[in-house]
Amino acid sequence: MELTLKKRKRNTIIPGFSLTLGYTMLYLSVIVLLPLSMVFFNTLSLSWSELWETIAHPRAVASYKLSFGTALAAGLINVVFGTIIAWVLVRYQFPGKRIVDGLVDLPFALPTAVAGIALATLYSPNGWIGQFFDFKIAFTPIGIVIALIFIGLPFVVRTVQPVLQNLSREIEEASASLGATRLQTFTKVIFPELLPAIITGFSLAFARSLGEYGSVVFIAGNMPMKTEITPLIIMTKLEQYDYVGATAIATVMLVTSFALLLLINIIQWYTNRKFNVQ
Amino acid sequence: MSIHIQNVSKAFGSFQALEDISIDIESGELIALLGPSGSGKTTLLRILAGLEGLDEGAILFDGQNITNVSPKEREVGFVFQHYALFRHMTVFDNVAYGLKVRPRKTRPSKEEIKKKVTELLALVKLDNFADRYPSQLSGGQRQRVALARALAVEPKVLLLDEPFGALDAKVRKELRRWLRKLHNEFHVTSIFVTHDQEEALDVANRIIVMNNGKIEQVGTPEEVYEHPNSPFVYDFLGNVNLFRGRLHKGKLTQGEFEIDVPTYLDSHDDAVGYVRPHDIQIEKEQLNNESVAAKIVHIHMVGPIVQIELKREDVDEYLEAEIPKEHYKQLHIKNGDTVYIRPKQLRVFIPEDYSI
Repeated sequence: MELTLKKRKRNTIIPGFSLTLGYTMLYLSVIVLLPLSMVFFNTLSLSWSELWETIAHPRAVASYKLSFGTALAAGLINVVFGTIIAWVLVRYQFPGKRIVDGLVDLPFALPTAVAGIALATLYSPNGWIGQFFDFKIAFTPIGIVIALIFIGLPFVVRTVQPVLQNLSREIEEASASLGATRLQTFTKVIFPELLPAIITGFSLAFARSLGEYGSVVFIAGNMPMKTEITPLIIMTKLEQYDYVGATAIATVMLVTSFALLLLINIIQWYTNRKFNVQ
Repeated sequence: MSIHIQNVSKAFGSFQALEDISIDIESGELIALLGPSGSGKTTLLRILAGLEGLDEGAILFDGQNITNVSPKEREVGFVFQHYALFRHMTVFDNVAYGLKVRPRKTRPSKEEIKKKVTELLALVKLDNFADRYPSQLSGGQRQRVALARALAVEPKVLLLDEPFGALDAKVRKELRRWLRKLHNEFHVTSIFVTHDQEEALDVANRIIVMNNGKIEQVGTPEEVYEHPNSPFVYDFLGNVNLFRGRLHKGKLTQGEFEIDVPTYLDSHDDAVGYVRPHDIQIEKEQLNNESVAAKIVHIHMVGPIVQIELKREDVDEYLEAEIPKEHYKQLHIKNGDTVYIRPKQLRVFIPEDYSI
């Protein structure tokens, strides 16, 4: 390790490697690692049995399933439709394109509570949209998924869009002149080029959805065991001054999210490998 | 396969990219489309490949009108200037692509594809690179992969858009030779676009010189180089010196300087004589008024040919001469000397609206 560091130091042309690395480590420690480690420290004040009791409580387990399940579903739906939106925005010219392009960012800017209230009103059984469905949308997991789709959409669009923009037309023309159909060109040439960006967009949207609280609590209905998301359980515990219990649940969230994001990143490294070889 | 291009026109908005182009190309020819940028040569190539539509005219492959046939069905191989390889596929998969996307009925078996691709990779001398990704190859290697990929589908026509434009001089020369060799083996009708006159003269059997969306001249490399039919072609194919003057009774005169041009008998106040640098004779003494005094500005001496830059003493114009090294040694000239130059061969054009 020391040897490789030394070697790098000697070979690099850009100055300031140790300075910038030091800064990066310090910054990440203060901003990310320190607060997160507090979660662990707090949790450690529980005994193992207490800890297990808190995190394996049926109500908590149901909320994990709901949170990860809905985040996953919303992420996957966003991948499909976000990619289509990015495609339309890059490939076609139409009046009002700039406005549509601006609309995509709106979920970034809107306070999530506002979005949650608006969605709950629209999708409630007698709301504008909700009234057309025989089944309930708001106050069920479907409602949660809709809220998460709303807040996750810009992540996919904004990561796929620039990649699509930089994709050269020539590779499509090459594919066509080699006898491929439009569908083959998309599935064999364009999609693999977009895949790394799509995975990034997905993981961003997914991670954002896991921690989302504001918009979901309004549309979820928050029935224990049914539509209660994990962040809400944490909030409830905090309101009851059960700080240790809240951090224990948070630890579960943290570890699982980290594991999932790491997994996604490994997939990402794997798909990226062929693009950037030294 | 023979190609007939009939009265093809194409405009991009108000820009007329091609204007009434008609060319007949025989089966097995190796054609260079030569012209400066913006001359429409790439547009013509893309129209042949079906990547661009045309406004007027028709394209015939072997007598069949394929004007409205999609690129997919034209059976042409297209090689792009920037290779356009599929980055996420290995070299092998890139070459195999055209075979793998065929409909099941006509698709060769896995073994056949493997055999064919291996053969092609051997042909482009990349047998050991089958498992590499394009990002691991040099520019020359990438272009060879692109060629192998285009050849894999056994195209009836091979179209190359500035195939060597992005490569360095040495690799370019090597690939040129290689392309000619390939063409001699396969006899597939090939058309390549270039703005490099040397490349066109070196590789092609026939050159089509284009300018401003029109064809200037079509002919063998010797024809277009030795007998350019327009000032543009003269200027574009190689260096040229201009002698402006008055044309009268078979003589081109400019001040003291007068030269016989017996084939031009009409009179013009404005005429321009075109002389290639190697058609300029350098003498130390003035023998008659067919030569003109000039001062040597620079002598460039690399290889068997010596390039000499001169400044005329009567008018403020520079000239370029090329003489063999032996001749140069006999002359005993150096920078700053005044010598007399005489055009050995001169071609006169009457400028219309053409200007350099």
